[in-house]
Amino acid sequence: MRIASRGIPLLLAALAIAYPWLVPNYYLVYAGALTVMYAAMATSWNLLGGFTGYVSLGHSAFFGLGAYGTGLLVTRLDVPWVVALVVSAVLVTAFAAGVGVAAVRVRGASFVIVSIALVSMMNLVVQGWRSLTGGSTGLQVPSPFPGLHRGQTHMVFFYLFLALLALALLVWWYVSRSRFGAGLRAIREDEDKAESLGVPTGAYKVTAFSLSALFVALAGGLYALWFGSLDPIFVFSILIGSYMVLMSLLGGVRHLFGPLLGALIVAPAGEYFLIALGETQIHLTATGLVLVLVVLFMPDGILARLTRRRAGPSIHDQSADQRLQEVTP
Amino acid sequence: MTSLRTEGLTKAFGGVRAVDGVTVELRDGLINGLIGPNGSGKTTFFNIVTGMIRADAGRVLYRDRDITRHAPHRVAHAGIGRTFQLCRVFPRLTVLENMLVAVRRTRLRELLAGLRDKGEVERARHWLRRMGIEHLEDAEARDLSYGQQKLLELAAVLMAEPDLILLDEPAGGVNPALIDRIAGLVRDLNAEGRTFLVVEHNMELVMGMCDHVIVFDRGAPIAEGPPSVVREDPRVLEAYLGV
Ligand SMILES: Nc1ncnc2c1ncn2[C@@H]1O[C@H](COP(=O)(O)OP(=O)(O)O)[C@@H](O)[C@H]1O
Ligand SMILES: [Mg+2]
Repeated sequence: MRIASRGIPLLLAALAIAYPWLVPNYYLVYAGALTVMYAAMATSWNLLGGFTGYVSLGHSAFFGLGAYGTGLLVTRLDVPWVVALVVSAVLVTAFAAGVGVAAVRVRGASFVIVSIALVSMMNLVVQGWRSLTGGSTGLQVPSPFPGLHRGQTHMVFFYLFLALLALALLVWWYVSRSRFGAGLRAIREDEDKAESLGVPTGAYKVTAFSLSALFVALAGGLYALWFGSLDPIFVFSILIGSYMVLMSLLGGVRHLFGPLLGALIVAPAGEYFLIALGETQIHLTATGLVLVLVVLFMPDGILARLTRRRAGPSIHDQSADQRLQEVTP
Repeated sequence: MTSLRTEGLTKAFGGVRAVDGVTVELRDGLINGLIGPNGSGKTTFFNIVTGMIRADAGRVLYRDRDITRHAPHRVAHAGIGRTFQLCRVFPRLTVLENMLVAVRRTRLRELLAGLRDKGEVERARHWLRRMGIEHLEDAEARDLSYGQQKLLELAAVLMAEPDLILLDEPAGGVNPALIDRIAGLVRDLNAEGRTFLVVEHNMELVMGMCDHVIVFDRGAPIAEGPPSVVREDPRVLEAYLGV
């Protein structure tokens, strides 16, 4: 069991690193980079969703802002791309903290609605503010690696996204082992009870919200540098936000590798249907449908199925006498 | 010294005055009982004191500090802990994780420490041992019996190191032997310096355990004093014991 739990991730990491060299063409490198990007974003989303149970459908707002922030810094201010990426992500995180203070006041379905409102608002702002963003025609961002051809650029960004994924996984793992993480999980289980135990739930939630926006913003920035062309309708779309939710729920929100597993399934499937059907509204509809099915029939995700704990009804099934003995020394 | 003092606390739900101008004072170091018929406002009183609901009027002071309208976590940091009438634990966290949720005001830096931080885990095990449930530390809380969950809830509250502990019906729904055990724990914890305010319907328990008893009826105190006196008070007999 221990060999499996240590060995499998190591094997997968080695496979991931070797992936661009194993596949026969650059298209598959591109698809791989996209998948890893979504995996990093879903893992980041899960910093909020998995720990606290606050389901945000609006995380594409941070993706879009990260993308536009990086793009604008590079094109308007001629900032080096790494600096643009980091500065933009920090700004977006600060913005998320501000939004979070208001957003996490509402729970459950209301929070979902607020998160959708956020991304819709961003979309309108970016489309309306033409002078700055290029409006609905988009923004062109020069490639940071002008010497490389398209395929080589895919390779570079594959590894950049892989590094981002590793970082997001590391942070999730660290939080899951901290008392801060225990507090976040307590919020998911019973928020008022957590408060009564001295947990400053508001501050905890805002921290988780901002942290989860951070890596999504970084992904957005990398995406801008990679694609070189930003379309506000796409980067601020509900679809990207729903992808993060679907991937996380499908794989399992309570597991470090849940969102990653979900991304490995959903992203290639999405890409396949994009090729098979072209760009249509079917994507969002299908994503929504699958999301509903997952929520209804597998709310804990695939990994929960696989690693199902041996439940402890042994404790339940005791007689009253036995229980008594347990609590009486 | 005064532990908790309330002045004219009032809370109405629609037309119902659940808590109606409650002015009470608890002395430090005592086990106080709070009794009264169902619906007389005891739980609502707890909820106001701990900041979980907002009073329409009145003040809450703890050790002469005004904590009216403080957020619940700040009330906890001030030194007030509570349990719930229907015991509340975090069902899908393990017993040990449940213990590590509590946050003390003085130890915010602990938060960055690992879940397996030695000092904290030792403290957690200490309380679990005292509750007699240390062997369950890796079980998920939902797999515990109701009585065990009640012990866990109290243990988790103690992790926050409260000086005043509000217990809402600690004997409700548990078997007689466990009631004795909980009563013993309360007495020991009190002997170590903690003040208690206990809502309880089990009269034998209240009269045997408490130093001071307050009686609520329709949202307001109608009598208080040592158990032996309160027991004989005609207003209490009428309102509560239905004699
Ligand atoms: N959240 C609430 N909304 C509406 N009415 C409430 C609420 N909480 C308590 N009440 C009402 O307030 C009164 C006091 O209730 P409670 O404080 O639970 O009494 P006790 O704990 O003494 O049994 C009851 O009439 C109850 O129905
Ligand atoms: Mg009650």
